[in-house]
Amino acid sequence: MNTTDQQYYAPRTWKVILRMIQFRPWLWIGNLCAMFVLMGSFMLPGVLIREFFHLLTGQGPNSLSIWMIVLLVLASEIGGVSGIYGLVLTNVPFQISTITLLRKNMLAHILRRPGSSALPDSPGEAISRFRGDVFEIPLFALWLNDFNGLLLSGGIALILMFSISVHITLLSVAPFILIGFISNAATHKIQEYRRASRKASGVVTGFIAELFGSVQAIKVATTEESVLGHFRKLNEERSHLAIRDRLFHEILHSLFRNSINIGTGIVLILASKEIQQGTFTIGDFALFVFYLGFLSELTTFGGLLIARYRQIGISVERMYRLMVDAPSETLVEHTDVYMKGDFPKIITPVKTDADILQVLEVRGLSFTYPSSENGIKDISFGVERGSLTVITGRIGTGKTTLLRVLLGLLPGDSGQVLWNGVQVADPGSFMVPPRVAYTAQVPRLFSDTLRSNILLGIDRTEEGIQSAIVNAVMEKDLGELEAGLDTKVGPKGVKLSGGQLQRAAAARMFVREPELIVFDDLSSALDVETEKQLWNRVFSREGATCIAVSHRKNALKRADNVIVLKSGRIAAFGTVDHLLESSEEMQHLYHGELRPSR
Amino acid sequence: MKVPVTRYWRLLSTYLKTRKTQFSLLSIFLLSGIGLQLIVPQITRRFIDLAKGGAPYRSLIFAALGFLGASLVQQLVSVLARYMGEYVAWNATNDLRVDLARHCLNLDMTFHNDRSPGELIERIDGDLLTISEFFSQLVVLVLGSFFLLVGIIIALFAVDFRVGLLYLGFSSATLFAFIRLRNIAVPYDKASREKLSEVFGYIEERLAGTEDIRSCGAVDYVILGLYKLHFALFKLWRKAELTHVSIRLIAGVAMSVGYAIAFISGFYLYQNGTLSIGTVYLVVHYTEMIARPIRILTQQFQNLQNIGANVERINDIMSIGSKISDPGESSSAAETREKPPLKASSVSFDSVSFAYIKDEPVLKDVTFHLKRGKILGVLGRTGSGKTTLARLLLRLYDPDQGAVSLDDRAIDSMPLSELRNRVAMVTQDVQLFGASVRDNLTFFDPSVPDAILKRVIKELELGEWFNSLGSGLDTKIDVAGKGLSAGEAQLLALTRVFLKDPGLIILDEASSRLDPATEGLIEKVIDRLLAGRTAIIIAHRLGTVDRADEILILRDGRNIEQGPRQTLALDKTSRFYHLLQTGLEEVLA
Repeated sequence: MNTTDQQYYAPRTWKVILRMIQFRPWLWIGNLCAMFVLMGSFMLPGVLIREFFHLLTGQGPNSLSIWMIVLLVLASEIGGVSGIYGLVLTNVPFQISTITLLRKNMLAHILRRPGSSALPDSPGEAISRFRGDVFEIPLFALWLNDFNGLLLSGGIALILMFSISVHITLLSVAPFILIGFISNAATHKIQEYRRASRKASGVVTGFIAELFGSVQAIKVATTEESVLGHFRKLNEERSHLAIRDRLFHEILHSLFRNSINIGTGIVLILASKEIQQGTFTIGDFALFVFYLGFLSELTTFGGLLIARYRQIGISVERMYRLMVDAPSETLVEHTDVYMKGDFPKIITPVKTDADILQVLEVRGLSFTYPSSENGIKDISFGVERGSLTVITGRIGTGKTTLLRVLLGLLPGDSGQVLWNGVQVADPGSFMVPPRVAYTAQVPRLFSDTLRSNILLGIDRTEEGIQSAIVNAVMEKDLGELEAGLDTKVGPKGVKLSGGQLQRAAAARMFVREPELIVFDDLSSALDVETEKQLWNRVFSREGATCIAVSHRKNALKRADNVIVLKSGRIAAFGTVDHLLESSEEMQHLYHGELRPSR
Repeated sequence: MKVPVTRYWRLLSTYLKTRKTQFSLLSIFLLSGIGLQLIVPQITRRFIDLAKGGAPYRSLIFAALGFLGASLVQQLVSVLARYMGEYVAWNATNDLRVDLARHCLNLDMTFHNDRSPGELIERIDGDLLTISEFFSQLVVLVLGSFFLLVGIIIALFAVDFRVGLLYLGFSSATLFAFIRLRNIAVPYDKASREKLSEVFGYIEERLAGTEDIRSCGAVDYVILGLYKLHFALFKLWRKAELTHVSIRLIAGVAMSVGYAIAFISGFYLYQNGTLSIGTVYLVVHYTEMIARPIRILTQQFQNLQNIGANVERINDIMSIGSKISDPGESSSAAETREKPPLKASSVSFDSVSFAYIKDEPVLKDVTFHLKRGKILGVLGRTGSGKTTLARLLLRLYDPDQGAVSLDDRAIDSMPLSELRNRVAMVTQDVQLFGASVRDNLTFFDPSVPDAILKRVIKELELGEWFNSLGSGLDTKIDVAGKGLSAGEAQLLALTRVFLKDPGLIILDEASSRLDPATEGLIEKVIDRLLAGRTAIIIAHRLGTVDRADEILILRDGRNIEQGPRQTLALDKTSRFYHLLQTGLEEVLA
């Protein structure tokens, strides 16, 4: 699938940074103040060295005794200590708050967006958006403070130097300006190299994710070495690009360091006569050498900041690419991030009278995947309270698509869904518990206890959970698990068997006491007897209404209505007996399962 | 944990030994760079003394040019040293990374079940990137700074032994303080890194389950979880940073003390005529220079602390042993690999019991024997232990009791590679790579020629299907699996097995969840695959075991019925007969 036609509305880079500063302005300003204090303490020794040499040689103005100089040097350290503490106390909360906000905004958008099942990148790639890219933004906001600090101290340094000798200052600073230009011209190359090296890094992490997602297949096929051979190749490609990137960076950096040396050399040459004459003192010389270092750091840092700024532009763009269709405010929208530990309560939704399902109508629902011709076309049907509607059809005929559009997990192109005769404006936010609950074909559980996986934050009594477990025919499994409901199910629920996973997902659905339950082929990992029990229990609930995708006879026999899909359209509709007489497709599907395999 | 450097060194030295030439080049660049750094201030000192002594203008210019030349060469050498450092670090960690990945791949499934791929990315890539970065800095910066420090002190002794002694005492005291404090932040760093990888594991899992989260109305709950993790991270991170600051402070204090020493000693030694003004300048300048190695050593000591945590985590993983022991590839085994494998294998389970979790057996005393070339159908409810049976045969797990043998040889006495070359398994969930169809078939083995792939595809009569894939073998498979349907993925998995040419095939629920029409193609491929081979078919549905010669029924991990299919199908007292009846009843209703 190509992703170029997907739209994103990334805001300008500076705006993203500004919005992050606005999110925690006092922390940022506090950080800036701490930076100024720290810089001041770094600058003080420069003046004191000059005083010292003046004291020593008797040349130049001097008003401090040796002990006064020593005392002031030690005092500057007190400024340093408070500056550093100030930095840490503002850095960490600023970074964690903004990082949390960015990650939360991205995740929330991905979770809420219709068609949320598809990510434009591999999961490994997507994670690097949440990792490196998110991290860069607040870091840059803090780097701005470093730069501001350097700017202030650089300004002061220049004033002091000018007051000693204008022409020596101008000439000794000239190399910095020259090298600033060179590095600016080189930022494009820096970016290009950086991008190539990042991309190669993404490939490596993506492959690690695949490698360990397929660990069983690799073991079973004993192809560890060839897969590792490929891994080695990817690593080598990356290291080649990374070394190139670093070398280039080093060369630029060394140019900056050289500019101090060249500057010092210029001072030596220009000042040699004046030093002999005593108009340019050793103290002045020492001060120049000391502050040239500051100025060089300023230009180094300025160059770095520009390169970094462009880098963040790329990061922001990538994040918006991950959040398909996100409006530009999405990433930077301010909300509380609860860094005081005062977390919000999850509200368990309560059913109103209007939520009680009498009849569900689907009218002319259509959807076509942007990347293909597939989809569903003009689907209409009705579902009465207490009925079972089974959707069946061959693979790729749009059964799951129909459920997804109905539930608002995919954005329908046209058509309506009516709940008790009232049109549902946004199925994505309406067709959810306590009205509707859904179990996908391959349900996902998360690394947590079974209880948390079933509840997912809602408030239920122990009896409520137990009855959901019974409805899902899971009570026997529960006894077999090491800690019952408190068993940790492992990443993606791997510690459960396929059937247990589906039953746990069913329990997760039942515990929400929905009006309408929607199964996508729940029975495929259940044996016939367990499946039968499950249906019995589903319909022992008062007013249970259900829409299910299934090929199984248990389900088809039980259905009040069967929808047969073919190429995204309803090919036949009615009871199974009726359809077996009238629909050829139904006969094919029904007997297909029966027919001996050879 | 006391001395992370040694652990660190132990971890990397193996990988560095093979790179001696590069390593010595690195040392040469590094040492000559340091030498030049020491010489440059000496030139300045000479300049000042010449100027103050009224030397001719020409010799002043000469000294200034000498200063410029020496400092430019010094920069060049230091870039070269950095480059070599990077080069060696990347190559060494690449080797280590592959070894670490190999180690993890070889660990048994209990290891993998506990860890998400996101977590392993942090271990194999994140931690090693930090180590690589640190290596290039350990050598270039830490060692470089250390030698520079030593050089400066020697130069100061040359100035005056009292000055030398003062600085020796001062530097030793500072370094001693660092070494004492070096480890205090490690536990906090480790905790915050671990929390961070928990955050990524959390996000990764949720990204894979977006549909479930949305349809359960659990978006707010997931976001709340994210807040909680970050709040925990905040507290750990702040603690770690504050601990780091206390170390950084020492560097600042040391710096001012250094200046104080320079001023006081310079003042008195100049006053009594021991030192020239140029030499006093040299002392002050060296004091400034000392700041840099001390600052770097401090920063790198912090990294050293971080690295301690990284190295510890890697050592932790490296020290995990697989619960599955591999008797290893003896020379005879290597030979058998060369020979074409037996067409069909026999299988026996002898009183096998197994539990994933202690005292919760999944298989209890299971015994059966399957003759060469026969097909066994295994039936049972979900959770009855069918899949476990297959996993034991491939030694993804080892039984707690009893023995499994292949061709009358205990499988745990067989090299793992041999066993897994002889036994193939097709699972319902086909695991695919985001790579070409070719790489998916061969698992990136470039030594498998296309001709063989094409022959196999032809043999399986899948030519038409492969051609329909767009670019044939070069077709890229989408990672999310959007590119292939479940049925197509099955076909791909079956082709993988055919390439391997095993003696025993396990089909684990291979054909469920497919519509009957797609199943037709798969059935044909399976027919070819099973011809002349032994097979175990694990299924929920009766239709799937139609081709079986033997039937085994499991209930709660026990073998409750076993026999030839034909016989059982006619025996009215058998459970299989009963199952067929319920199945048929369902059909006829």
